[in-house]
Amino acid sequence: MEVSVIGSSQVKTELAYRELGFCNLKGGKAVISSKNRVCVGRSTGWRKSGIRFTLRATAAIQSEQLRSDSVSGRSTRSKSRDNVRLFVGLPLDTISDCNAVNHARAIAAGLKALKLLGVEGVELPVWWGIVEKEAMGKYEWSGYLALAEMVQNAGLKLHVSLCFHASKQHKLSLPEWVSRIGESEPSIFFTDRAGRQYKECLSLAVDDLPVLDGKTPVQVYREFCESFKSSFSSFMGSTITGISMGLGPDGELRYPSHQRLVKSNKITGPGEFQCYDKNMLSILKHHAEATGNPLWGLGGPHDASTYNESPNSNNFFRDHGGSWESPYADFFLSWYSNQLISHGERLLSLASSTFSETAITVYGKVPLMHSWYKTRSHPSELTAGYYNTTTRDGYEAVTEMFASNSCKLMLPGMDLSDEHQPHESLSSPELLLAQIRTACRKHGVEVSGQNSSATGAPGGFEQIKKNLVGDNVVDLFSYQRMGAYFFSPEHFPSFTKFVRSLNQSELHSDDLPEEKEEAADSLRVSSDSVVCMQEA
Amino acid sequence: MSTVSIGTLQHHSLRENPQYSPKSKAFKPCSLNCSPQTKFFFHSRRFCNFRAPKHSHVVVKAASAAETAVVQTFESAELFFKETFPLKRTETVEGKIFVRLDQVKNSQIWQLTVGCNLPGKWILHWGVSYVGDVGSEWDQPPTEMRPPGSIPIKDYAIETPMKKSSSSGGDGFYEAKIDLSPNSAIAAINFVLKDDETGAWYQHRGRDFKVPLVDYVQDDAPDSNIAGAKRGFSIWSGAFGPLSSLILRGEASTTTGPDNSTNSRDPKQESRSLERFYDEQPIAKQVSVDNSVTVSVRKCPETAKNHLHVETDLPGDVVIHWGVCLDGAKKWEIPAAPYPPETIAFKDKALRTRLQPKDGGDGCWGSFTVEEGLEGFLFVLKLNENTWLNCMGNDFYIPLSSSSLSARSTQSLSGGTQIPEKDSKENQEGSISKYTSGIIKEIRNLVGDISSEKSQKTKSKEAQESILQEIEKLAAEAYSIFRSSIPTFTEEAVVEAEKQISPVKICSGTGTGFEILCQGFNWESHKSGRWYMEIKEKAAELSSIGFTVIWLPPPTESISPEGYMPRDLYNLNSRYGNIDQLKEVVKKFHEVGIKVLGDAVLNHRCAHYKNQNGVWNIYGGRLNWDDRAVVADDPHFQGRGNKSSGDNFHAAPNIDHSQEFVRKDLKEWLCWLREEIGYDGWRLDFVRGFWGGYVKDYIDATEPSFAVGEYWDSLSYTYGEMDHNQDAHRQRIIDWINATNGTAGAFDVTTKGILHAALERCEYWRLSDSKGKPPGVVGWWPSRAVTFIENHDTGSTQGHWRFPGGKEMQGYAYILTHPGTPTVFHDHIFSHYRPEIEALISIRNRNKIHCRSTIKITKAERDVYAAIIDEKVAVKIGPGHYEPPSGQQKWSSAYEGKDYKVWESS
Repeated sequence: MEVSVIGSSQVKTELAYRELGFCNLKGGKAVISSKNRVCVGRSTGWRKSGIRFTLRATAAIQSEQLRSDSVSGRSTRSKSRDNVRLFVGLPLDTISDCNAVNHARAIAAGLKALKLLGVEGVELPVWWGIVEKEAMGKYEWSGYLALAEMVQNAGLKLHVSLCFHASKQHKLSLPEWVSRIGESEPSIFFTDRAGRQYKECLSLAVDDLPVLDGKTPVQVYREFCESFKSSFSSFMGSTITGISMGLGPDGELRYPSHQRLVKSNKITGPGEFQCYDKNMLSILKHHAEATGNPLWGLGGPHDASTYNESPNSNNFFRDHGGSWESPYADFFLSWYSNQLISHGERLLSLASSTFSETAITVYGKVPLMHSWYKTRSHPSELTAGYYNTTTRDGYEAVTEMFASNSCKLMLPGMDLSDEHQPHESLSSPELLLAQIRTACRKHGVEVSGQNSSATGAPGGFEQIKKNLVGDNVVDLFSYQRMGAYFFSPEHFPSFTKFVRSLNQSELHSDDLPEEKEEAADSLRVSSDSVVCMQEA
Repeated sequence: MSTVSIGTLQHHSLRENPQYSPKSKAFKPCSLNCSPQTKFFFHSRRFCNFRAPKHSHVVVKAASAAETAVVQTFESAELFFKETFPLKRTETVEGKIFVRLDQVKNSQIWQLTVGCNLPGKWILHWGVSYVGDVGSEWDQPPTEMRPPGSIPIKDYAIETPMKKSSSSGGDGFYEAKIDLSPNSAIAAINFVLKDDETGAWYQHRGRDFKVPLVDYVQDDAPDSNIAGAKRGFSIWSGAFGPLSSLILRGEASTTTGPDNSTNSRDPKQESRSLERFYDEQPIAKQVSVDNSVTVSVRKCPETAKNHLHVETDLPGDVVIHWGVCLDGAKKWEIPAAPYPPETIAFKDKALRTRLQPKDGGDGCWGSFTVEEGLEGFLFVLKLNENTWLNCMGNDFYIPLSSSSLSARSTQSLSGGTQIPEKDSKENQEGSISKYTSGIIKEIRNLVGDISSEKSQKTKSKEAQESILQEIEKLAAEAYSIFRSSIPTFTEEAVVEAEKQISPVKICSGTGTGFEILCQGFNWESHKSGRWYMEIKEKAAELSSIGFTVIWLPPPTESISPEGYMPRDLYNLNSRYGNIDQLKEVVKKFHEVGIKVLGDAVLNHRCAHYKNQNGVWNIYGGRLNWDDRAVVADDPHFQGRGNKSSGDNFHAAPNIDHSQEFVRKDLKEWLCWLREEIGYDGWRLDFVRGFWGGYVKDYIDATEPSFAVGEYWDSLSYTYGEMDHNQDAHRQRIIDWINATNGTAGAFDVTTKGILHAALERCEYWRLSDSKGKPPGVVGWWPSRAVTFIENHDTGSTQGHWRFPGGKEMQGYAYILTHPGTPTVFHDHIFSHYRPEIEALISIRNRNKIHCRSTIKITKAERDVYAAIIDEKVAVKIGPGHYEPPSGQQKWSSAYEGKDYKVWESS
């Protein structure tokens, strides 16, 4: 029944009118004949898939030499400026608490559909709370390994997001042993002015404190990464091409400033500063004393508005004459944002040193705190830890930190357009995005994109496209996220359309050069070897 | 509003297997299963162990129909193995439905006869439309029209069992007759047929049958579903019904009807120009047929060969598709010649032999001689092009060596390989992964083809199309799996999953796990106009009884006074009181520690205005939707949305939840109710009407502390015997809960139905299912089962499905001691039952029984049922005798009423 729904005329018509270049031999040929010149011009997704296929096959079956060839081939390609590598996020609960692959059949079918569609790979969230669930150092990778194998067999790439946070909404928690520690020592969590803890990730103030049974969180994260690296060594660089390091709430480098937002509220409030856990306060106190203003170290701004209040309802964020422009505020906001950047530095350098010998790239995610961007004080960004106002660029320092760790920067919200934001929120995702991208360009940090996880922002696909083409160079785009909605008749056809429109301008087959015979043969040989692998 | 709605039910079975899609004709490709019957299994074991002596007498039966040389061989051989496998298959039987309108001799009365010539428990589910009705709703016919034995279904339909008829002559017609008085104001009779045996519904072109009695009926003529027009039947099974009942037949054949269009067009005319007509349409139904196949193996001591004899009572030509295997891997190989006559090799892996017809009788046989040293003999039977018979999804496997025989007894019958050589058309059963990797292979071939040929352009176009089609297929498949089960539901899985959840964790599906609900209104509560104030007075009282949650009536402005026909969702002035009173009552309940559920009617919404065609589908108020918010598949509201994702409720426009703006608005509304009114959770009305995944959305957006959905469809219990096994019914409810991802519980209609049967008929054995668990939803997913025995629809002044009178306390003794979340109906608390209910609630609370409590059924006999819950509370219901076991635990009587008793462990 569902088949008939999906096979609706909409898709079919589209089929008939638009010509795809997938399975185009040109791509295959290019790979075989000159391994380092992988991407010639703008190839289609289909063609790309052919390329990957071949590469992997040859690499795996022939020799180490070839493998390194394929790796260099890949990195060459990733540097090529005119191609977006599209990834699709796997469901957040892909691997269950008990390390089983959830809805494995659906994922298997989905992977194949994506492969056929020409998608480069999938993004897999790997949860700290699942892998290291029971006790420190006791890792259970079996479920994720099984999934990696599924992905490999499907001929797709894998981008792994290491999630050191939890998600109440999706019923994913921190490791049990960490939660237990948190019960007796709640100060390991971010805390707001009212004393409410945010229990979905650890406070950045404890990064280097031995709060986890004598170990510091950074040590624990590092060991986790090491364990990941060794467990997945056979996939590294071949199937696994990139890793996003979890940096905070939702994996993003920020404070959980919106922890108490009421969802139903149309307008996202400015959020609150999260500097009230014991350790944060003590760092602040020392810092204030060191700078000679001990009285400034007693807490955050007293006149900031609360989560859902309009930023103008209180004095701190007020557009004109707000205390955010005072010397105290500069002291506080600099400290608050520097804490965040240092935290990012700690984790990204940890990740890039851990994965330095592997051929994979490390990514970090920066949030797009776009509401209130059109005010002068940018309250949402301030509370999230970005000291970015009309008078100060807060992203320079952040991108610099990414650059120094040779990490790429993942930006969510590429599907958001200004016109669909509620007018009253004075929000501008587009301008903020442009600002961050400018900072990235300046420091040579490559940008990757994501859509906001909210399903189906209006006009989302057009906006994403806008953000991926033209001058907007994007290294990869990770589309969120596979699941029932993703494959639903409401969504999947437009996704298909989107994927294909990304690869619009391929050459007509008539324009392709001759020299087919040799290519055909090698392609066939290599695809046969793939067959063996898959059936083995 | 809970209705057992009928009509354009879209079959949305997610479990549906594509091979049953309505494309194919009479015979579906199907693979049929059989399971070895236990008794035969034992037989064969015995033979094996004893190595039956030569000249065994048992032989006679097997060889009886085949008195040829084979028997000779057999006689001298040793019977090594014998087993009979039952073969279950379904066969399509064709028949017809007829509709006849006729005048009763010598009277003014006309009679409508609806009949069917297929066997089954046929039920005519019908209602009428009156002259002047605009909507598509059915109405209840006047009582004098109802044939004896009819049962009213809610307030708009009648179910009349069809009786075996003698009058219609010939071979067993089932028919129902409805008398029509010529001067009633009835414009049309609407009906659908239901086969209570299979749960399948038979409709007319996806709509109700409609027999017009005055000719003006519904002007949507070219497309109308008037019986008599030349149309086919479509048939659908009740949601998630058995696959076998899903069939579609092609065009209708004979039509001998009147031409209504020549009649006068005055709807109010008194003397009607009714004309006789007779119309029949073919239908097809699948019935299950049982056959068997017997295989015996003998070893010939002289030649050391194995002689196999295969015999079956399958009718017609049967081809056996066979091979042997050399080792335990069950890989098909072709044995050495010679082969029996009429054998052909199939690919290079198997042989096909046509079985010989038995002399004088149904069935056929074949005999095969194979070398010794083989591990086993594999076969499947092919009945016709599309029907294959195998053994519980695997090939039949007959062990040939003694080691394999002994291995076989330990190795369960599962395992085994796919039949290797079926070509892709035949192999509909192929596993998904095989199927899809096949596609990838094909694509590679295509790539190869393209490359080798110069005509690249056309080829690649074809390739593109086929690839895109494959993508669609894969996506559809992924969609249906993601949609249906997150995660895959099995009874065990849930039990396990439940254990991991600590009982104090609050989630919307279960609340704290210790909730006890009170339904705080009945069907008459709107009458006083100040119900909120009245129930507010009782808040403290309800709290002291031990309730933790109260369910208040639907708060919105509504076309019907009871609130279930909402119009302006943001107008909370209803017959129960105004918005301020509502806030007040919610506040009051919060003060006494009771959470409040709002009754949210999300399935349908009444319109404010008519569109240009005069159809009510334009909304006003804050949510001023237009007809895009209305589902497209109810023609009477001319919606421009998508098709409904569930069943339609016919009395009002059904909302299209697949529209983003609708969901957004509804979420906002629910959030507003949460904040503005202070509701803690939801009772969701008529959730059959839309996909449970949307419910999940709403619940995720509003984060209620408790939510329960009303998924009410009929058990096949009203007529004749109710099935002991109501798994299909509870599965439908479970499927819904699953679709919500467990974020909502559901009323356990199954348990109520089974309690009805058990108490009414004194058949308490019904209260244990085949696995010794409670037979309702509560037996499978206790934490999501919201048990109840009565509500405003089933009882109160509507009485659509009233709990057996006088036995209510047995019902409460059951639900208040059992796992699940019990609900007590308002009318029962404020009745003479109150002390008993109070006592039971206090026992529940005292012993901390919660929705996931463990239960052990200790007795389920004709006149008594007993169970022990959490090893702390024992309960028996029924007149029979029961005492809890006197072992280490000491039991003391805690409470006792008529035909029930509760003990506590001390």
